[in-house]
Amino acid sequence: MNYSQYIALIPLLPLAGFIVLGLFGKKYFKQSAGIIATLLLLVSTALSIYTAYNYFFIDGKIDGVYHSVIPLKYKWLSFSENLSIDMGILLDPIAVMMLVVVTFISLMVHVFSLWYMKGEERFSTYYAFLGLFTFSMLGLVISVNIFQIYIFWELVGVSSYLLIGFYYDKPSAVAASKKAFIVTRFADLAFLIGILILGLQGQTLDFGVLIQRLTDIQSPQFISITSASFIGFSVMTWALTLVFIGGAGKSAMFPLHIWLPDAMEGPTPVSALIHAATMVVAGVYLVARLFPVFYINHVSLQLVAYVGAFSSIFAAIIACTQTDIKRVLAYSTMSQIGYMLFALGVSGIGDEHELGYTASMFHLFTHAFFKSLLFLGAGAVIHFVHSNEMKDMGGLRKLLPITHIVFLIACLAIAGIPPFAGFFSKEEILLAAYNSNKFIYGIALFTSGLTAFYMFRLYFLVFWSKTSSAHAHHREGNAAMKTPLVILAACSILSGLVSFGKYVSADGKEIESHFHLVFSIAPVLLAVTGICIAVGLYKNESGKPQRVASFFGVLYKSAYRKFYIDEVYLFVTKKIIFNLIGRPAAWIDKNIVDGLINGIAGITADISSAIKGIQSGKVQGYALYFFGGVLTLAIIFIYLWK
Amino acid sequence: MNALLLSALWGVVMMFSSFLVKEKSAIRNMAVAGLVLLLLVNILEMNGKVFFDINTRGMIYFDRFSLLFNSIAFISTFIYFILSAKDMEKVGDNYAEYFALIFFILCGITLVTSFKSLLILFLGIEIISIPLYILTGSDKRNLKSNEAALKYFLMGSFSTGLMLMGIALIYGAKGTFMTFVPPATVKEAAQATPASALLIAGMILLLFSMSFKVSAAPFHFWTPDVYDGAPSVFTSFMATIVKAAVFASFIRLFNDAFGAEKSQWQLLVAIITAATLFIGNITAVFQQSVKRMLAYSSISQAGFMLFALYAMNGDGKEGLILYATAYSLATIGVFAVLIKLKDFSFEGFNGLSKNQPILAATTTIFLLSLAGIPLTAGFLSKFYMLKAAMETGQNLWLVIFAVLMAAVSVYYYFRVIQAMYFKDGDVSPDLTVSPAFKTILVFLAVLVILLGIFPGLLLNWYYF
Repeated sequence: MNYSQYIALIPLLPLAGFIVLGLFGKKYFKQSAGIIATLLLLVSTALSIYTAYNYFFIDGKIDGVYHSVIPLKYKWLSFSENLSIDMGILLDPIAVMMLVVVTFISLMVHVFSLWYMKGEERFSTYYAFLGLFTFSMLGLVISVNIFQIYIFWELVGVSSYLLIGFYYDKPSAVAASKKAFIVTRFADLAFLIGILILGLQGQTLDFGVLIQRLTDIQSPQFISITSASFIGFSVMTWALTLVFIGGAGKSAMFPLHIWLPDAMEGPTPVSALIHAATMVVAGVYLVARLFPVFYINHVSLQLVAYVGAFSSIFAAIIACTQTDIKRVLAYSTMSQIGYMLFALGVSGIGDEHELGYTASMFHLFTHAFFKSLLFLGAGAVIHFVHSNEMKDMGGLRKLLPITHIVFLIACLAIAGIPPFAGFFSKEEILLAAYNSNKFIYGIALFTSGLTAFYMFRLYFLVFWSKTSSAHAHHREGNAAMKTPLVILAACSILSGLVSFGKYVSADGKEIESHFHLVFSIAPVLLAVTGICIAVGLYKNESGKPQRVASFFGVLYKSAYRKFYIDEVYLFVTKKIIFNLIGRPAAWIDKNIVDGLINGIAGITADISSAIKGIQSGKVQGYALYFFGGVLTLAIIFIYLWK
Repeated sequence: MNALLLSALWGVVMMFSSFLVKEKSAIRNMAVAGLVLLLLVNILEMNGKVFFDINTRGMIYFDRFSLLFNSIAFISTFIYFILSAKDMEKVGDNYAEYFALIFFILCGITLVTSFKSLLILFLGIEIISIPLYILTGSDKRNLKSNEAALKYFLMGSFSTGLMLMGIALIYGAKGTFMTFVPPATVKEAAQATPASALLIAGMILLLFSMSFKVSAAPFHFWTPDVYDGAPSVFTSFMATIVKAAVFASFIRLFNDAFGAEKSQWQLLVAIITAATLFIGNITAVFQQSVKRMLAYSSISQAGFMLFALYAMNGDGKEGLILYATAYSLATIGVFAVLIKLKDFSFEGFNGLSKNQPILAATTTIFLLSLAGIPLTAGFLSKFYMLKAAMETGQNLWLVIFAVLMAAVSVYYYFRVIQAMYFKDGDVSPDLTVSPAFKTILVFLAVLVILLGIFPGLLLNWYYF
């Protein structure tokens, strides 16, 4: 199969949409922007599915192993004979799977937005941004080298910044977009340093070669990167940890998760695309991409596992207390991504052990469907009641029948009730954890019970609880809204039945996914228990939730306040960094530098006193600093003298 | 050699033209024509066509590095002229003299990029500095401008003193002004004598005075005041083209004269670099005026350029070429827009995207480049610098620190973008910009992105 004939079109079509709509959208395509962008993406999606079909069923498999294919590649920057940076397209099982997921979810969001964003003043701009985001995300998943992934990584950051801040007249949206950008950017910088170290030590940036060199314990690169150490850890551990920090930033893992809940200020379909199915799983994807290298370095893989496990339970607890529908979903996303990461963390390579890898990718796949469905459903609800707060909702099941049904399906899927999609992927994750790390298994089991509880808390608070009919005059929405919901609901039911292990595994070989009936009893029972508690507490409006909340007291309150993590950050940045460092710097500027300027400005009326101002010792002060600098540095220099 | 003589000559021509030519546009055209000519002869020299061959006894030597740097300086000045030359009219009446002074500075630049003797370095630095003092004070009726010029002059003299002292000490140690004396025999080369205390003392004095010229911490105190006080058009020139050229001479000096003592000064340079990055970035965060923010940002960008000195390897030099270009182009662009605005505070940019979408969009690209966002020249140049520093294999903390500081810089550059796009305001409704101005800005923005994707366009000139 010659992929190169069309493969570049998949990312380029959304880019074309961005350019055309960005430049001419406001003038010529004010109404038709949505249709144009959707049609372009439809072609992209079709091509992706075609590619996946070819890759998985026709010619990707050689001797029972899926190989990676590089249909396009050209040299971009060459530093030396051996080290160059290429741009290209890499197809392997996870890349192809991501192509399908990204284009498909993006298509659903495009269609849904036709209804949701209708009448927005910047309708065409919105679709232009969506195109840019889709392009960047597709570029990210098909990158051939770690530098290319970084560039698209940043582009994804920029385009999500634009989308989160789409309602730019809302100060909270602007603040949220800035927060998301700056937090992830700090993480990205760690990523960049990690890339530099890997590139320098591995003498290449190409994924294939890099993985080959750094997993071969005989190669000179492997020896050099593992023998050098820095503060007790090998350079390889440092490099991988830095790369993982980059991934954790994008994937909103503790403690870099603080931007995700705020990012919910963006339009809801955007949250479905960026904060459920695509951008936030980039970190998982990155670890999976470099998985063989992580695997060989035990410390960094452990880090991935524990950060993932902790984030999953941490976010699940917070999600139980939030009252904003989108924030519950945001924390739930964080929790599910934690699942994917610790699944990778407990995985190995080779027949039985690599279940975690497959399970992680499987969960990524199913989660994309049901989580974007949840967000789009939430979008429909928000559009209906004009509020994000769950107290303004309740009793909506009669008014929004379709939304109600699909939302219920998604909730069952995420709670892990058979035979919905989430059940299968979650079972695999739990099994992988059970086989290698009982502690993490325990966390995961408890979290899965919590997940069922908070999702059904959400479900009952929105669709049952009160019997309000305040919004009876509204209608549910048109086909553009219902179609994606129904399609995604179908996927949430069926996608779990794919025998995923056949196609995606750490070494490209097929792995057997056994189905253990006995093993599934505990998690399903826990999930059902969680649902039952939610039924008891929230099905009908009552005082019970308050009593439970006061029973948990401090725990409830601190979970409600998201464990004060934002406050800690604020404290560190505002109180410590700004005060200890910023203030003195500002003081010097204000008193010494500004003082001089102000002094001069105040005396403009009187030249003589202006001269006096200059002579009042300030310039001498500068000279003094200069001299002090000379002396200090000279002393340092003598001290350093070898 | 071509550019050296022609720039001096054209400076004199411009000076006398104020007697003969009264039309301001004619003066402007003359200056632009002179610059085109300069660029032309310099490019011819890059291709081996030298018109003047003067025996300087090896004190001046034009190699690829210096010729390429001259070209960058001339191209930047050319873009600067066509963007901002009109705004020089507002400064004062001596329109032709401003151009004359700029040509003299260019002459100094060709000297400092090509010196092989410390005397030429000193001459070049002074030829650059003295016209700069005048340009800083050229807004005669403005106290701030006078004040800045006086301060600049005093502090500049101080550092010149250090430089002369350093040169004298080195002369005492080596017995020659030449920066690099090839060892006479193989034997002599083999048994390298340890550097004498005299030489080392001279070296660090030179290090300090050059640090002053590129406004590295802790010798940066003059920078914010002078950049803020000087007329904005000239701030743009001295913060970009002049600074980049002085960096080239800094590298050249330490590469030729003190390359052997690298292990001794490397850590000191690392400390200066870290201090410069820190002070520049942290203080820039607190500025209320964009002009002053740019002054501090120029300090922090200098911190990044110091990486080339720290690493002192092939990648570092390539990186400096790219960095100097990326930084100059982007900063000239931002200043050109800033000059058009009445209000230099961040609020002055509020709502610019509504009134002047092209200005806002191009400024955004310049700021993204300065912040080092990928697909702009600024990102790749930072990448080259960090890579060069990594190659030395030491002081990893410096790289990590620099990357952290680059993240801080995003904050203040984005404040401007945020003001332009996310805040409402009426940016000088009477703001009028010619279509030509916009075209050049767009061209400049395209250049910034092109260099960010194909740095080879520039770096290939360094070889063959």
